[in-house]
Amino acid sequence: MNLRRSAIVVVLVALVATAVTVTAGARSQGTLSGAGATFPAPLIAVWQQEYKRDQVNYNAIGSGGGISAITNRTVDFGASDAPLTPDQFSACKGCIQLPWVLSATSVMYNLDGVKNAIHLNGRAIADIFMGNITNWNDARIRRLNPGVNFPDRRITPVYRSDGSGTTYNFTDYLTSVSPSFKSRVGGPNTTVNWPAGVGARGSSGVAGVISRTEGAIGYADIAYALKNHIKFAAVQNKSGKWATPGLRSIKAASLADKKFSKTNELSIVNPPKGKKFLRAYPISTYSYVLLPLKTSKAAQLKAFVTWAVTTGQRFGPKLIFQPVPSYVLARAKSQLTRVKS
Amino acid sequence: MASVSETVVDPAAATLRRRGRFSPGDAFLYGITLAAALSALVLLVLLARELIADAWPAVQEFGLGFVTSRTWDPSTDVYGAATFLFGTALTSFAALLLAAPLSIAIALFLTELAPRWLRGPVGTLVEMLAAVPSVVLGLWGILVMGPWIVEHVGPFLHRTLGWTPFFKTEPATGPSMLSAILILTIMMVPIISSICRELFLNVPRELREGALALGATRWEVVRGVIFPYARAGVAAALILGLGRAIGEAIAVTQVIGNNEAITWNLFDPGDTLASRIASLYVGATTKLQISSLVYLALILLAFSLVVNLLARVIINRVAARHQVSA
Repeated sequence: MNLRRSAIVVVLVALVATAVTVTAGARSQGTLSGAGATFPAPLIAVWQQEYKRDQVNYNAIGSGGGISAITNRTVDFGASDAPLTPDQFSACKGCIQLPWVLSATSVMYNLDGVKNAIHLNGRAIADIFMGNITNWNDARIRRLNPGVNFPDRRITPVYRSDGSGTTYNFTDYLTSVSPSFKSRVGGPNTTVNWPAGVGARGSSGVAGVISRTEGAIGYADIAYALKNHIKFAAVQNKSGKWATPGLRSIKAASLADKKFSKTNELSIVNPPKGKKFLRAYPISTYSYVLLPLKTSKAAQLKAFVTWAVTTGQRFGPKLIFQPVPSYVLARAKSQLTRVKS
Repeated sequence: MASVSETVVDPAAATLRRRGRFSPGDAFLYGITLAAALSALVLLVLLARELIADAWPAVQEFGLGFVTSRTWDPSTDVYGAATFLFGTALTSFAALLLAAPLSIAIALFLTELAPRWLRGPVGTLVEMLAAVPSVVLGLWGILVMGPWIVEHVGPFLHRTLGWTPFFKTEPATGPSMLSAILILTIMMVPIISSICRELFLNVPRELREGALALGATRWEVVRGVIFPYARAGVAAALILGLGRAIGEAIAVTQVIGNNEAITWNLFDPGDTLASRIASLYVGATTKLQISSLVYLALILLAFSLVVNLLARVIINRVAARHQVSA
């Protein structure tokens, strides 16, 4: 009996001691929790290492998940590649979105014996994802790639099964280049009803299925293609040039929209024909951070986002995140003053 | 008389008597167990109420036609459950078809045929399969089983059984309904086989020995004594396994390929009710989509309930027949 009682005392003391140390730890360094898009996740992972003021936790659950998480205030910030719809804005009750990351969605493929950066135009990509082009040696693909020897192999389109801003960016592009994609599949949206192919969860899931499936083609942020050594296509822009996702081609695309919408949106998908856009990669996109206007962590959030759009951008180029232009920075700074505790 | 013999044979009752009828400890125990029993019931009722309330917008919008509609289109905000119902039914029943003979064979081997020193270790290993978290099984499905199906099993099945609707094409991707079926089979086997093993062990010794004394062979004992005796229990075990398969979400999401298609070709990707909910719920953007996902959950609940009720009916019938014949 005595033994049991002393055991209980020991356990209680231990519990109190842990509770004390945990609260003490929280006081010395605060935490910020975020959730959302997988697209900026590779860069945010670097930020988590480099940002010293607070500890940042980020859960890459997809843009749709990020939007519902911030709407329900279960996180301090959300992240989404798809700008919020008016409905989502009103549901979020006092949220702002700010562009904070700039990169591109790559069209990745796995084809043994075929070189990197094969040429694909928007119409061909749309036809592949609608199941109209089903074999790699289809004339519509060969015509774009003179001199490339394509195997007789079935094409397996791979798409995101979860709600995804990358899907939004990709369908934004496909609906703008292919009227039949727009009428048959619809979008842009974070999830659409794909007529062909297989789904995978998250960008890493898509990359995983592609690298394990001969003949597969899919889409994800370019960082995932580079990290997993997956080949990606050069996509034809409106000026008729072939562009691969890279810092310069993303920068060129970003020139397409410098005027913020009321909700801080910038749309740079499929830039128009023109000298400025000769190099532009047509499936480029900003990704957004979502913040509540009223939050007890206002100061912490402002410090983190300001750091992210300034110092944080330095870590981008290695992962093909083009540092955001100065007007985005200025906008972020002026808009962040609206976040209050 | 009865009470006297009770005090003699039942030590618990004897203790009760000694302490008196209304000891606070007993009342406490009664209260706690009653609360536990009630909480399960209350939880179920609350859950159903919540599901119905959240699914209501979709129920109003799509009505019962939701169940037979094959569209799931977030672009136009139109949803239907037919493809996922089909996927759930196909994958779980196919998995049951594979798991049932395998599990019963394992249980028979472990109780009747295996040398005694082998029974313990093998039994434990089979039961340990049940302890593998489903997300780990799913990962294994993606990394190991998927490629194995594409490279070896798939082409073989296509060559030999390509004339059936199930293996019409060469497999193109690891994620497919076949992958889901095999993963579900792996999940069901330890459940069914461990229950069956207990059932077979509980066959009264006299019956078994009686049959042997009459000159029955091993197989005749199995067929004539063990199977009839354990029939109802085996049916219940199969239903338990089926329930596991119907509700499994994570591992299935990982390997099934999440595509809205009604097809008998097992090399094609498909989707189930549970996996659709798991993959889309966090990212659902419109209210109607969320509500439709909850509607799917409601259908899943109803589906499991119907399967369970059917199972109960079957078991009762079999058990009744068994009692008459015994």
